Amino acid sequence: MDVLLFKIALCAYFVSTLGYITSLLFKRVFVARVSTWILVLAFIIHGFSFLFRCMETGHSPFINLYDSLSFFAWTITGTYLAFQVKTKTRVLGAFVSPLAFLLMVVASVQLGGEVSISSILQGRLVIVHVILSVSGEALFTLACCASVMYLIQENFIKNKKGGGYSRLLPSLRDLDRINHICLLWGFPMLTMGIIAGSIWARTAWGSHWQWDPKQIWTMFAWIFYALLLHQRLAIGWKGKKVALFSIVAFLILLFSFVGANTFFITSHRFM
Amino acid sequence: MLMNIILIGINHRTAPVEIREKLSINCEDNDRPLVEIMSVPQIRESLFLSTCNRVEVLAGVSDIHSAVENLKSVIFSLGNLSSKELEKCLYIYHSDDAVRHLFRVASSIDSMVMGEPQILGQVKDAYRRCVEHNSSGVILNKLLHHAFRVAKRVRTETGISSNAVSVSFTAVKLAKKILGDLRGKTILLVGAGEMSELAAKHLMSSGVSKIIVANRTYGQAVKLADDFHGTPINFDLLEEKLKEVDIVISSTGAPGYIIGKEIIASALRRRNNRLMFLIDIAVPRDIDPEVNTIDNVYLYNIDNLQEIVDENISIRMREAEKAETIIDEEVLKFSGWFKTLEAVPTIVSLREKVDEITESELQKSASWMRNLGEEEKENIKILISSVTNKMLHDPITGLKEESQNDGAAPYIAAIRRLFRLDDD
Repeated sequence: MDVLLFKIALCAYFVSTLGYITSLLFKRVFVARVSTWILVLAFIIHGFSFLFRCMETGHSPFINLYDSLSFFAWTITGTYLAFQVKTKTRVLGAFVSPLAFLLMVVASVQLGGEVSISSILQGRLVIVHVILSVSGEALFTLACCASVMYLIQENFIKNKKGGGYSRLLPSLRDLDRINHICLLWGFPMLTMGIIAGSIWARTAWGSHWQWDPKQIWTMFAWIFYALLLHQRLAIGWKGKKVALFSIVAFLILLFSFVGANTFFITSHRFM
Repeated sequence: MLMNIILIGINHRTAPVEIREKLSINCEDNDRPLVEIMSVPQIRESLFLSTCNRVEVLAGVSDIHSAVENLKSVIFSLGNLSSKELEKCLYIYHSDDAVRHLFRVASSIDSMVMGEPQILGQVKDAYRRCVEHNSSGVILNKLLHHAFRVAKRVRTETGISSNAVSVSFTAVKLAKKILGDLRGKTILLVGAGEMSELAAKHLMSSGVSKIIVANRTYGQAVKLADDFHGTPINFDLLEEKLKEVDIVISSTGAPGYIIGKEIIASALRRRNNRLMFLIDIAVPRDIDPEVNTIDNVYLYNIDNLQEIVDENISIRMREAEKAETIIDEEVLKFSGWFKTLEAVPTIVSLREKVDEITESELQKSASWMRNLGEEEKENIKILISSVTNKMLHDPITGLKEESQNDGAAPYIAAIRRLFRLDDD
């Protein structure tokens, strides 16, 4: 059942992505509105698929790599939709939707196969760690998307280029606010996620910190974000600088998520 | 017998303002013209439209030539103008051309600024007045409603009204693109001038709540601030106040830069880097162009704004071509409907005649039908109407088709003659 729901959600993400791209190309707001609703559908069905997965396999549904990618997709979709309600930045959907879709495609690799969870991953702390870390990372992803859009729009306005796309993008101030909110909420989440992870690490491996590549790179990213948040709050950094920094910090985070596992040997690998 | 549609009038392209204003002053009381127009015997239905850029009469008439002549004299007398003056400016359209002109007017293609939103409301008002005075009938009702639909189509399917085509509107759109929601923001108006005041006015109506006015002459600042319910300040306080300001509109007559890079940079720091939008309308420029290199500050001078306006105008021109295509389609649709009207009276008469015959024959058979049951009587009536409907179906459909192809006249004449429809 959960596999079926997953596949339906995957299709919905795909259709939604097509819709957003079409609405951008042909500048029809109506198509974007429909796409948002399809995304809502995808979100709900995807959520249910987690529920069913949990019920059928008897353990939490976001522990292994593919599951966590799936959960990641779900979280960024949820966060974007929450923003959509408040700020109506539909264009953000054009970034989020394809991202969610790609993540789901990768996550679908494991569909149908036997789910093996490393015996080490027991206990509620793991779940807390995953949920918090992934949520934090989802918010940072959104911050990065907003930052990319900020740079595009900023370029249009600063250099006085017209561009029909400029009309579609939200205002600079709105994009900056999205970045701000995402950082403000994402940072504590990631922090708590790391803490939860390290507490659990003690129970699993005996120490809080393993100098594991993934952990190191995540720490790098965390430091970057801490700096960024500090500059925002204390010194009042805004706008272009923040956008650039957010993108750099996110790339580091991305590397810790994807690259660290691939290029280095890490014990933080749970397939 | 059948009505023709005509449209005569003057607009900003055909008549200079001196003539237009004479006509529109006397048409202030918008009821009198309509009454006068309806008194023309050849006019069955009419609509009167008067705006500052056009005066037009749309009418359904029985005889084009006499109707036009009479209408002309009504207009000449309304405007107290000589026929010579007016003849030069008057345009006369009939049939499809009249329909096309109406559609173009309602869609704002014929307006001075293409894409302007007021004209549709003005046409709707004119129609409402027309309905109140019972001066519209089947044809104008259908035509006007069709015109409103066409206007809507043009508005939604083309981009003729989506971009700003004046410097002040462009400034407002830019402000929204930079600062988002303008409510709660503050403007600083430096100097004075029509364009800057217009921009300020538009910004205020978009939600800007606070306006500060600075001028070399304090008295001038006070006067202007009064108009806007704003705060006047002395010119030397300008630097100090900048940190509270989100939008600066500058248009003084000063020969050099009055706002330099350092002033803005320091203001930005003191306002925690919140975004700033500066509009420099002055020639020579008031604001040092280097200011645009500061992060989070956006400076536009009058040339930049005008470029955007020019670009938008050419976009509108391109969109106007799309609009003309839409209008052509719709004229065809209306025309198709209009032509079927030709056949309607004949079809009605034909049906009436057949009904009369049916009635009279049923009456004649009343005596022997009395002995039948209710159900059988009903069945006979149904049988009769079924036969007559089927027999009439082909000729009536054929008539309608011929109307669509403009070939109905001989058939209508033939049917009227052969069925003796005109014999009462």
